[in-house]
Amino acid sequence: MTLTATSFDWVRALVHKESAIVLQPGKEYLVEARLLPIARQVGIPDVSEYVESVRSRPSADSTRRIVEALTTNETSWFRDGDPFTAFTSTVLPSLLAARGPNERLQIWSAACSSGQEPYTIAMLLEDALPNAASRVSITATDLSREMVERTKAGRFSQLEVNRGLPAPMLVRHFTRAGTEWEVAPTLRRMVTARECNLAAPLPPMGPFDVVYLRNVLIYFDLPTKRSILSRVRALMRPDGWLFLGAAETTLGVDDSWERVVIGRSSAYRPLKGA
Amino acid sequence: MRALVIDDSRAMRRIVSSTLEKLGFEVNQAGHGREGLDVLDGGWVPDLVTVDWNMPVMDGLQFVSAVRANPAWRAMTIMMVTSESEHTQIVRALAAGAHEYVIKPFTADALRDKLALLGLLPQEVAL
Amino acid sequence: MSTIDTGERRRSGDARPVIPELIDEATIQSIAEDAWTALVGEDELLLPMPGELPDDVLSSWVDVVGPWTGTVVLTTGRQTAAELTRALLWDSAPELLDHEDVADAFGEIANVVGGNVKAALPGPSALSLPEVGAAPAVRNSADVCRVEVLWRGEPLTISVQGALPPLPVSQH
Repeated sequence: MTLTATSFDWVRALVHKESAIVLQPGKEYLVEARLLPIARQVGIPDVSEYVESVRSRPSADSTRRIVEALTTNETSWFRDGDPFTAFTSTVLPSLLAARGPNERLQIWSAACSSGQEPYTIAMLLEDALPNAASRVSITATDLSREMVERTKAGRFSQLEVNRGLPAPMLVRHFTRAGTEWEVAPTLRRMVTARECNLAAPLPPMGPFDVVYLRNVLIYFDLPTKRSILSRVRALMRPDGWLFLGAAETTLGVDDSWERVVIGRSSAYRPLKGA
Repeated sequence: MRALVIDDSRAMRRIVSSTLEKLGFEVNQAGHGREGLDVLDGGWVPDLVTVDWNMPVMDGLQFVSAVRANPAWRAMTIMMVTSESEHTQIVRALAAGAHEYVIKPFTADALRDKLALLGLLPQEVAL
Repeated sequence: MSTIDTGERRRSGDARPVIPELIDEATIQSIAEDAWTALVGEDELLLPMPGELPDDVLSSWVDVVGPWTGTVVLTTGRQTAAELTRALLWDSAPELLDHEDVADAFGEIANVVGGNVKAALPGPSALSLPEVGAAPAVRNSADVCRVEVLWRGEPLTISVQGALPPLPVSQH
């Protein structure tokens, strides 16, 4: 059954309120396509019915899931901006001061998708540190083998590099390969990509100084969220930093984290003695 | 906030203007670099200029150089929006003083992302 | 698609590359698809299938001048070009489209496709302003790469064709 006008209007208003993104009339097909997998996941085969079920009893999670599904078009670079600014302004200097000169910083991009996030981090490091490749290693994981392969390849289409990647960084860190753009070899060497299912026991990795776990927890129920956070924490340094998605928080999920405000974003650090 | 959209294609001017208007910009248009400079000389100084590369009379690169040479227009953000996508071309544009570069074909989301990076996105987006 | 360069063309001291050595149909197809996805609509399909062009066709093209010199030509039925214009302009489309609207939009699509084809070729190259009308003739049948697609069931061709006629056959 196609999306009713009422459902579409409600979704439009929700997306606008949560993300300031405008869903234009005529995009009903897009809403249907994006929400159908989620509707099926929760056992409702019909998008209108699914939307109505959320609308009648909205929760932070269910509404966020809808917004996320509709605002993730292609993964963009520097997504939400601030967590990456926070990294260079505060987190990186703090880590460099806390670690010895020969200690390699370890960073984990825990839902790397096609690679924009780990390479965004790599570019920032390359621009901030001399010999970044010898000072830092970035582990990029994803549930999907296809995404891991894409991350390893480090190749992006023109449409993908248009999404939020500053042009000066594009020319500094990419070369053209046919119609695509390929990340420089130095950056690719900084990133090791592998498959990983966050909802299962994690392979031995880390210990990580920084973890990016962005826009992933919203897809899981509360108990799973808790176990993921606890597994992630076990792979982190005690003075490490965790970044979640812009609309996400550990509040109400796991009280063993301390929230630190950095500019317009937040990071979470393991609470001592928790 | 104001934007000047410069492109020799009327269709492209309409597309870019429409996206910017939905994002809350007041938009003016010009068909080539010389016309763009005339708008600026006339005293209508925008916060953002989007400019194509290949245009008659005065191309985008010449326009960017002319704008950056004028201290009175220092505060303007210049974004090239063009199908020129060779690495060397992008380097040339940035070297001439363009702040950002959007490769055609682009989506409205791509334009929006770049504006967010530049801090030019109004907090509330009008429907 | 790969072409082995046996060097035969080079023996007469000429280093002129021809299009099949530089780009293939799949690349041109992908460039066109990106253009359609971004400018016409996310779910627009270009089916790589030949179709018969109607008698009344319109072409738009841009010239590329560089290590390879030639033209990127788009050709489709006049009605299809009008439909494409309307789809491109979407909510900015005027009630009645005139020839200028269509020439302008179709020309811009040639600019977008041509600019990206140029970037996939050895550079640096310059791109001309678009022109619209009757397609420029193919000068050298060995220096062409042609893609035929169906958009919304209507045929459209993209031809990347060299500007130079074939070299005279060697007398030796």
